[in-house]
Amino acid sequence: MYVAARGGEQAILNAEQLFHSLKSTFNADDVRRVESTMPYLIDKVMGEGSLYAPELAALAILYTGGDLYESVLMLRAFRSTQPRIAYAKTLVQDDWLTVRRISAAFKDIPGGQILGPTLDYSHRLLPLEMLDNERDHGPISSTLPVQMIRNSELLTRQASLPAVADWQRAEGLLPELPFSASSVSPDSLPDVTREPMHIPADRAVRLQLLGRADTGGILSLGYANMRGYGTVHPTVNELRLGYADVTITHPVSGEPFSIGRVRLSQAEIVTTFKGAAEKPELALGYCATIGWNEIKCIAGSMLDMAMDLPKPHPSHTEDYVLHHTDPVESSGFCIHYKLPHYVTFGSDLDAMRAVTAAGDYLKTTGASVPLGTPGSFSENAPNGAAKSGKELS
Amino acid sequence: MTGHRTLSELASPNNGYSYAFLDEYAKRELRRKTLKAIAIPGYQVPYASRELPIARGWGTGGLQATLSLVGPEDNVKVIDQGADDSVNAANLRRFIFRVSACHTTTDTLAATIVQSRHRVPEEIMGEHQILVLQVPDPEPLRGVESDIGKSREMHGDGEYGLLWLGLYEQLVRYRRVTIGASYPALVHGRYVMSPSPIPRWDVPKLHMAQHLTILSAGREKRLYVVPPYTSVKPLEFDDVPFRIENQRGWTCRISGGSNKFMSEIPLQSGGAEHEISDTSYREKLVADVKRVDGTECAGVPYYDNETGHFYIGGFLKDEEL
Repeated sequence: MYVAARGGEQAILNAEQLFHSLKSTFNADDVRRVESTMPYLIDKVMGEGSLYAPELAALAILYTGGDLYESVLMLRAFRSTQPRIAYAKTLVQDDWLTVRRISAAFKDIPGGQILGPTLDYSHRLLPLEMLDNERDHGPISSTLPVQMIRNSELLTRQASLPAVADWQRAEGLLPELPFSASSVSPDSLPDVTREPMHIPADRAVRLQLLGRADTGGILSLGYANMRGYGTVHPTVNELRLGYADVTITHPVSGEPFSIGRVRLSQAEIVTTFKGAAEKPELALGYCATIGWNEIKCIAGSMLDMAMDLPKPHPSHTEDYVLHHTDPVESSGFCIHYKLPHYVTFGSDLDAMRAVTAAGDYLKTTGASVPLGTPGSFSENAPNGAAKSGKELS
Repeated sequence: MTGHRTLSELASPNNGYSYAFLDEYAKRELRRKTLKAIAIPGYQVPYASRELPIARGWGTGGLQATLSLVGPEDNVKVIDQGADDSVNAANLRRFIFRVSACHTTTDTLAATIVQSRHRVPEEIMGEHQILVLQVPDPEPLRGVESDIGKSREMHGDGEYGLLWLGLYEQLVRYRRVTIGASYPALVHGRYVMSPSPIPRWDVPKLHMAQHLTILSAGREKRLYVVPPYTSVKPLEFDDVPFRIENQRGWTCRISGGSNKFMSEIPLQSGGAEHEISDTSYREKLVADVKRVDGTECAGVPYYDNETGHFYIGGFLKDEEL
C-alpha cells in the first residue's frame, strides 16, 4: 500500500501536539470533577451538541481545553455515528420533576411560582476570599440534587404544577391545541439529524434546530428582535427547569422502563392581539432544550414566534434564523477562512486586472453610475443585478 | 415466561466506528442521493449531511461523498488549491486513509477518486475516475436570491433572468464580466450550477468530461453531479464570450511550464513570480525534464502546453478572437 505523505502532514501532527502540550494533562477524575462542578457548561455543550451525555461533554470540554465550539463538534461527530435504536416515549410536562417554574405574565399562578436554582438575584461579587482559603465554596452537601428535591416540600407540589397555558386555554384566551401529545407517535416526527431541512420548515424541524442551536447566535438574533427589529412584544408565560425520566419500551417484555434521567428546560412566551381581528387571541412561542439553558430557551421561543409573523423582519425569517444559528456550521465556516484561498483570489484578481487593463471603465460608466458593494458573484467583483451576494469558498 | 435478556445482550457488539466512519444508513442515503443527482445533472439534491470529526466548512461535503464511495482497493488523491501537501488536504487524506485503509496517491492519473478544493487537475481524467469537489455554496442564485425556498422555485422554473441581468450589469459598468471563481454554468441545458469556486480556467474541463464529477456541500446539505459526457456551458452572451484567466506569458518558476493555471507569488523586491498550482503535474514536468530516455510521465493536459488551446476545439470562443 502506498501512502502519500508530505511536509504538511508532519506539520499538522506537530501543531496538534503543541496544542495539547500547552495545557495540563487530565484524568478520569478530572472528567467527573468538570461534570459535577460545571453542570451549566455541560448543559450548554450537550444542548448544542444535541446529545445528552454529561460524561462525554465533560471529556470533550477537557480534551479541547475548553474551546466550546470544538467541544460541541466532538459531541456532534460522535452522535452522528450512533444508530437510532429506539424512540423514547413523548415526555409530558406533568411527568417532569420541576425544580424551577416562573411566570412573568401573572403575579401568582396555579401551583405557585417556584424560584428554584438560579443566580438571578445573587450579587455577582467574585468570592475573592476563596483564593486564599483552603475551604470549598458553597453549601457542603453530599446528597445528589434529585435527592435534595425529593426530601423537600417541592415533591409534594409536583402534582399541582399545571401549565400556565392550560389556564389560558380554559379561559378562552388561547386557541385549543390542534392535537394532544399522546396522539403523536415519536417515530412519525421528522429528524433533523437524518433528513435535510427544507424551507418552509416543519415546526418540529424548527424546534429541533432551535433546541440544538448556538446559544450566542440565538441570543443575538433574539435580542435584535427584543430591541425592536420585528414586531414581537412578548411576555414570558412560563419558564420551566426540571428533570425527567426518559422511557422506552423494552424490546422483549414490551414494558416501559426508564433508561435514565435528564435535565430539561423550556420556555413559553406569549403575545397579545393575535388571531382574527374580531376575536384577538394570545399566541405562543416555544423553545426547549436538553439540559438547563434558560437564555437559549427564552430567546429561542421569541424567535419561534417571530418566524410565525406573516412578514418577519429579514433577520427573523425561518431561512435566516435556522441557517445561521447552528454552532457547528457557523463556527466551522468561520474558521475555514484560515484555509488558503489563493486560487480563487487569483481568479478574482485576474477579473479585476482585466477591467483595469482595458482602461475604458471610467469613461463609460462615469460618476453617475453608483457602484454597488463588492461582489455580485465573487468577492472582488462589482455588484450585479438586484442585490449583492458573496463568494463562499 | 422465558428468561429476561438485557438490552446489552440484545444489541450488537459495539465496534466503535463503522468502516469509512459513516454508518451504513448514512452511506445508503448518500449513495441514493448521488444516484438521483446523476440522473438529474446539475440539480441540487438535499441530503441529511452528517457531522464528521472535521470542522464543518472544511470539506465535509466532499468528504461524505468520498466516504460513501471509498473501498480498500481505491486510490485516493486529495488536493487543496491544486496542492497535495496543503495542510488541510494532508489532513483529509490522513482521515480517509485512517477510516478506510484505502491507498493514497498524489498522481492524478493513478487515482480512482480525486477529492479537491478549488481546482480540477490539469491532466485529462478518464472514465474510471471520480472527481469529488468540495462545495462551500451550491447555490448559483445566492447572489440574487438568498432565500433557498425561493431559489429552489427559480431553478424549478428555469428562471435564470436575474443571473443574465447580473452579467449584463457588469458589462455596463466595467465592459467586462467581472466574475472571478465560481462562474455559473448551465448543465445539460437545464440547471445552472455553481461549479464550486474553481477558477474559470477549470470550468470548461467539466464539459463532456470522461469522468464523473460529484459536487457536495456539507454545511448546505446539497449535492449535485456532472455525469460523464454531459454538456457544461458557462453563461456567456453570443457577442461576449466566456473568458478564462489571462495568464499568457506566465512561466512556472519551478518547472518552466506554461499554459497551466498558475499561482502568483509576490516578491519582496516587487513584482511576482509564478508557479503551476497543480503540484502533482508540476512535479511531473520537472521529472520529465530530467529524463534522458525521452519518455514522459505527465499525462495529456486539458490545455495544450505550447499553444494553451483547450482540448475541445471551438468550445472557448475567446480563443478564436
